[in-house]
Amino acid sequence: MNPVWITGLGAISPLGADRHASFAAALAADSAIRPASKHASAGLPGMLQAPAADPRLLLDSAYAGVDRATQFALVAAQEAMTDAASGGSELPQGERCGCYVGIGFGGATTLDAMYARYFALLAGAEDNRRRAAVVHPLSVPRMMSNAAGALAAARYGLRGACNTWSVACASSAIAAGEALRAIRHGYLDAALVIGAEAMLTPGSMVAWNALRVMARMDDAEPAASCRPFDRRRCGFVLGEGAAAVFLESAEHARARGAQAHAELAGYGASSDAGHLTIPAQAGQVAAMRAALAEAGLEPAQVQYLNAHGTATEVGDVVESQAIAEVFGPAAGALAISSTKSVHGHLIGAAGALELVLATMVLESGSIPPTAHLREVDPRCTLDYVPLHARHGCSIAAVMSNSFAFGGSNACLVARRVGH
Amino acid sequence: MLADLIKHYLVANAHVDPLRLEQPDVKVSELGLDSLGLIEMLFEVEDRYGFQVDEPMRFQTMRFDEMVAAIEAEVRAHHGGELPEPAATETAATSG
Repeated sequence: MNPVWITGLGAISPLGADRHASFAAALAADSAIRPASKHASAGLPGMLQAPAADPRLLLDSAYAGVDRATQFALVAAQEAMTDAASGGSELPQGERCGCYVGIGFGGATTLDAMYARYFALLAGAEDNRRRAAVVHPLSVPRMMSNAAGALAAARYGLRGACNTWSVACASSAIAAGEALRAIRHGYLDAALVIGAEAMLTPGSMVAWNALRVMARMDDAEPAASCRPFDRRRCGFVLGEGAAAVFLESAEHARARGAQAHAELAGYGASSDAGHLTIPAQAGQVAAMRAALAEAGLEPAQVQYLNAHGTATEVGDVVESQAIAEVFGPAAGALAISSTKSVHGHLIGAAGALELVLATMVLESGSIPPTAHLREVDPRCTLDYVPLHARHGCSIAAVMSNSFAFGGSNACLVARRVGH
Repeated sequence: MLADLIKHYLVANAHVDPLRLEQPDVKVSELGLDSLGLIEMLFEVEDRYGFQVDEPMRFQTMRFDEMVAAIEAEVRAHHGGELPEPAATETAATSG
């Protein structure tokens, strides 16, 4: 089995327009959560969001018309590809290099705008009504979920498999895990993995609001509205953005003289096979145990876990119980944080962003806190690194959890590379 | 007017050499547009005049001036024989 290295990292998140800015803000607990724009609020009071920078400012004008999620994907990809290229010789291309993407609701911005225009024209002045049905000819290829992968593969000449996973909140963790397997089992030498999401649109906000999982605004401090594991938690805030990792076999990376950020050592995937939205401890335990087993690690050998931690009433308790079951006596020494408290929930991009942050924890020895966690829920009994970052930690392995609506669970484990 | 609208689009968005469009007998097939590019070009007209141009692939075998004349005939057919001022495009607002 080929070890798989992470040789490139990139992110554009609500916390910053690259991975370093994002990680620095996570460490500082500098929340990007704020009241939603009037447009995105769609007339609903107290809506929150965590917007990222306009990705068009960081891209060639040729990408001006593609969906916002695709633009985020391309920005994160270009940072990861530049990073992967910086250490070694030329980047791999061709049939041995794939492009694996995770996205929850691809093309949401394009779709929402298309319907908004369509119905506005139909309801408007009679002279304009016939224009309603005349929509942009690229509407379909812009909104399709695999648009980001297609454009990224074309941009970098990646002619191996270009696949997109849409598994709600676990999408890009699964894309990374499946890429790990493809390289480990010899189907590919390398893969660009991207998670992307952009749905801070009126249509999507009203739908999420109806599900009653969105955080209520803290009027005194809107940026502190999302409080994972806190007694007063009340749900999550939608974010947007993308993150990317470049994976390659250790053999391939060594041959071109590339430096590794980490080894992506384990992946576990499972299904609750139960409720559409309520998580189950057994499914989460299965995913974490599978990831540890593939990595060949005992629980005590993992020092940091980036939790799914969405700050929902049920989710945080179930995840805490699942972690306690998997880690047993080692759970007390494990540092756990939910960075969703500051960057919001990036849905399809969450797994990739949190993998990037966890990898940076591994490299730096600095652990971002769970922001705004002042009063831990007594049913959540672990160390959630409340409020303040920890520095100078000795970290040999990290874990990242992503648990999706629909009951799909994914867990990734990364560890230091002994060159 | 219609010719200028299309020429401007082709130069600004489809990277067509403006000198090539100055040639009186230039053919549509010489502009380097693939089938999707041709449809995107037509949308520039469709978006402003509120209808979908018929059978776009017929333009591939025409000269540029023949294509413009054919499109103008369609615009007039949809507007009672007139060639109205083009409406402001909404593309920018809808492409997010």
